Amino acid sequence: MGSMFRSEEVALVQLFLPTAAAYTCVSRLGELGLVEFRDLNASVSAFQRRFVVDVRRCEELEKTFTFLQEEVQRAGLVLPPPEGRLPAPPPRDLLRIQEETERLAQELRDVRGNQQALRVQLHQLQLHAAVLGQGHSPQLAATHTYGASERTPLLQAPGGPHQDLRVNFVAGAVEPHKAPALERLLWRACRGFLIASFRELERPLEHPVTGEPATWMTFLISYWGEQIGQKIRKITDCFHCHIFPFLEQEEARRAALQQQSQELQEVLGETERFLSQVLGRVQQLLPPAQVQVRKMKAVYLALNQCSMSTTHKCLIAETWCAARDLPALQEALRDSSMEEGVSAVAHRIPSRDMPPTLIRTNRFTASFQGIVDAYGVGRYQEVNPAPYTIVTFPFLFAVMFGDVGHGLLMFLFALAMVLAENRPAMKAAQNEIWQTFFGGRYLLLLMGLFSVYTGFIYNECFSRASSIFPSGWSVAAMANQSGWSDAFLAQHTMLTLDPNVTGVFLGPYPFGIDPIWSLAANHLSFLNSFKMKMSVILGVVHMAFGVVLGVFNHMHFGQRHRLLLETLPELTFLLGLFGYLVFLVIYKWLRVSATNAASAPSILIHFINMFLFSHSPTNRPLYPRQEVVQAMLVVLALAMVPVLLLGTPLHLLHRHRRRRRRPTGRKEDKAGLLGLPDASVNCWGSDEEKAGGLEDEQEAELVPSEVFMHQAIHTIEFCLGCVSNTASYLRLWALSLAHAQLSEVLWAMVMRIGLGLGREVGVAAVVLVPIFATFAVMTVAILLVMEGLSAFLHALRLHWVEFQNKFYSGTGYKLSPFTFAAAED
Amino acid sequence: MLEGAELYFNVDHGYLEGLVRGCKASLLTQQDYINLVQCETLEDLKIHLQTTDYGNFLANQTNPLTVSKIDTEMRKRLCGEFEYFRNHSLEPLSTFLTYMTCSYMIDNVILLMNGALQKKSVKEILVKCHPLGRFTEMEAVNIAETPSDLFNAILVETPLAPFFQDCMSENALDELNIELLRNKLYKSYLETFYKFCKNHGDVTAEVMCPILEFEADRRAFIITLNSFGTELSKEDRETLYPAFGKLYPEGLRLLAQAEDFDQMKTIADHYEVYKPLFEAIGGNGGKTLEDVFYEREVQMNVLAFNRQFHYGVFYAYVKLKEQEMRNIVWIAECISQRHRTKINSYIPIL
Repeated sequence: MGSMFRSEEVALVQLFLPTAAAYTCVSRLGELGLVEFRDLNASVSAFQRRFVVDVRRCEELEKTFTFLQEEVQRAGLVLPPPEGRLPAPPPRDLLRIQEETERLAQELRDVRGNQQALRVQLHQLQLHAAVLGQGHSPQLAATHTYGASERTPLLQAPGGPHQDLRVNFVAGAVEPHKAPALERLLWRACRGFLIASFRELERPLEHPVTGEPATWMTFLISYWGEQIGQKIRKITDCFHCHIFPFLEQEEARRAALQQQSQELQEVLGETERFLSQVLGRVQQLLPPAQVQVRKMKAVYLALNQCSMSTTHKCLIAETWCAARDLPALQEALRDSSMEEGVSAVAHRIPSRDMPPTLIRTNRFTASFQGIVDAYGVGRYQEVNPAPYTIVTFPFLFAVMFGDVGHGLLMFLFALAMVLAENRPAMKAAQNEIWQTFFGGRYLLLLMGLFSVYTGFIYNECFSRASSIFPSGWSVAAMANQSGWSDAFLAQHTMLTLDPNVTGVFLGPYPFGIDPIWSLAANHLSFLNSFKMKMSVILGVVHMAFGVVLGVFNHMHFGQRHRLLLETLPELTFLLGLFGYLVFLVIYKWLRVSATNAASAPSILIHFINMFLFSHSPTNRPLYPRQEVVQAMLVVLALAMVPVLLLGTPLHLLHRHRRRRRRPTGRKEDKAGLLGLPDASVNCWGSDEEKAGGLEDEQEAELVPSEVFMHQAIHTIEFCLGCVSNTASYLRLWALSLAHAQLSEVLWAMVMRIGLGLGREVGVAAVVLVPIFATFAVMTVAILLVMEGLSAFLHALRLHWVEFQNKFYSGTGYKLSPFTFAAAED
Repeated sequence: MLEGAELYFNVDHGYLEGLVRGCKASLLTQQDYINLVQCETLEDLKIHLQTTDYGNFLANQTNPLTVSKIDTEMRKRLCGEFEYFRNHSLEPLSTFLTYMTCSYMIDNVILLMNGALQKKSVKEILVKCHPLGRFTEMEAVNIAETPSDLFNAILVETPLAPFFQDCMSENALDELNIELLRNKLYKSYLETFYKFCKNHGDVTAEVMCPILEFEADRRAFIITLNSFGTELSKEDRETLYPAFGKLYPEGLRLLAQAEDFDQMKTIADHYEVYKPLFEAIGGNGGKTLEDVFYEREVQMNVLAFNRQFHYGVFYAYVKLKEQEMRNIVWIAECISQRHRTKINSYIPIL
């Protein structure tokens, strides 16, 4: 947990990897996932890097893998997941893998090609048989006569030479969607010198490539003359038709076709058996090879980010590594470079860049850290709000969601997930919504638990109050004391319990809200007053805590002036105005009792008067000399605004100027000697900033207008924010009210009606089943899911906006170590 | 078109417009070009293209990589995108898209007829045809012997049919006639497309008309330039000019009389749009007339994206993508022929 407070120390580490051992070192680092490589060749484009050839070879291999994978999938087989640990193979193994897969792919390609060719042949034969069997012949006979009658007058005129022209045929098949276009084009191009008949195939044939059933249109074209024939052939070519010889001796031809296709089918069966053998081998080889090559490629890509030493003996890598992991890193490097005789070295180097943020989480803290990171990853070594979020987030959620029953349901749901978290089925679930819930199971667990607690405070369980302890109010005492007669009771449905009558109010309820309030007519106004004040108190405490957390940031980054010039004024402003309001609320709770309730002062009026420096005669002061105290507080708070506005910028400017004067004074004689311009040396001075050299440069280019502007924005944001953020916390009240009212309505509209329905036991029991089902479904859907989501959202907002803007900048970036974990999936 | 088309433009075409704008954003940037120019081999080029929106479109190509393979794959990609637009489009956008394909169809038909004239096999030429202008009857083009044959048998059902009205003739299809046919078809096509855009009105007309006018003028200039020293008569030449555009009618009449490049330049000097273009010829880097026209076209097409609710973006995108493909092919050619001195004379897309 200590590491949760701020991000870990991350060092820039330079690795000297001997050329011979670089590959093994990096592959070992990939297994461990300790370091993040920095790209030292950012200016070099992808294809000019050192290991691009190896990367390309890996990519070539992956291309082959994809081919094999597709083939396996096309055959309807699945690839088994790879088993065991598969380290990145040594580079020489790549050749072996490459050879094996290439050979396999080649075999597969050959077999596939054979199979394809055979299938195409078979398809042709089947199509041919189908064309012949389509029975164009009877129609042909008809067209003969038809054609003849057309032809007679035409042929008579030219006479002799055309008599010997025979009628020729073209038969074939075409895809159905092209048939009409083909027919029209034929007719237009040949102007009726032909007769074509089109017919759809009754039985769909298997497509040779995809294997899907496809219907075909067969056609028979009869024509006269060679010219037309050539034209027809060209046209059918352009429509990619299958053309078959069409001869008279049909029967013999069809028998031969039958014979051929049977033979072909046998050969095809043989080929397919061989194919499945090859695929089986692919299934074995592919998964481990895929993982290995993926790792290999990752290693080469990482190596591509390294630069070469001047002597070409080793590669230099710059990496970010947690300071804690440095020994592990050195050990890993030593181990993996042992074989080569020269050891790889890692040593820290100073860095001017902001290191990445590393916060180690476990399965419990991960979801809370996730909430913070979703807003912004923290600056390096900034105070991390996540540890406080673990408590405050479920608590603020519960304030809005307070109900024992609902909280318990949520808690049990989360508990079930937590108990089952190690089951593989849980992790394997692909549903995105489920994964979201599962990821936040510990968050849900705490939210449920806290809701049970606030539920007890509000004394609500499915909107019903429970009386665990005896109520602090006694109706009997009231009835006895005021002598209510039976007639009086019959006339008045509403009775007032007066706490000032002895014996009626025995003392506060030991824990939470007294159950008697749930019967009272002024239940709501009582709860509203309580919840509203509670919201303001929680809000001011939460915000003040945020401001205090800023102290740790200032201390850590060595900006002590900000303690005095920022945190102190901020705290004074916040506590002087709104802290005082909280004080008034609590003071009134403690000091004003039922006896003097009639003349109780109004806090609201007091608070308004405080800002107006006035007083209203009707409003009794809470304590003596109240006006003086209030006036002092307002003046103090307002006096803090200019401090906040001008303090830091003036301080920075002053320091900047002083520093500028000091070195130039010292350098005056030297500058004359060296002929250096003053400007080049004036910015260097000792600096107490721990944040590193970064600040130095910022100091050097201090632009007064920018500093003032920045601080002005910050001041305005803070002062206005105090008002609006305090008001924003009132959402706690609003949402808890909404939740209570909704569950009240659900109870009154569904369950109460159901319970009051039948007098006889049997009827009531039967009716209650559907009624309870409705109640249960609506409770889960509306109160748990919908209300839960809305309360979650508001709790999120309170943390991101109201709490974190007091101290958290969230402008960092995460450490993303080089690891094979992703490659293994 | 009714007034206030922007109110309901998105109902029918909003999705596609969004899509095409997204596609436009994926055009190669200046930085990409700088990197491409540095490539040593086509493999490098491929690796670099992988980092852009082209992705691994060359992944399934067997080695060795050639320029024509790259070109074919790029065309296929563009064609895929265009088909997607077309399949999801509604009227009148679908008509607009059909008009866009017509120019490619004309080119393909002419290409096939030229091939038939030189007795090349259809398959050989089919590879060279632009996939955007592909249609079923296309391959049968070589059975036609005269333009009217061509029209009656093959093209009557295609969108090209209306453009044929002016060029029906019984002349045999020799090389000159085919060229004339192409230009007449183009003239007719451009005029019809122009009329369509003009009638559509709205932003589409405001954007498309200047682009098409420029296209028409460019054709007029190119025709004039190409006809110098050929047997084409001046009267015939005038009939080939599209009858609209900035040059129409006086400029065209003057162009018809022009006899050499200098006379053409004097005519262009009368127009403030074309004067700077002709002045830029031969300037830095030895630009040709074609180059300056391409540059101007790119400029207009990029500007088309500044307006919303119109169809011009589809036209502009396809033209820009084509220019980008020409650039990549140019760079690839320079790399493969080891002719690096001119590698930088691609047309930058702003």
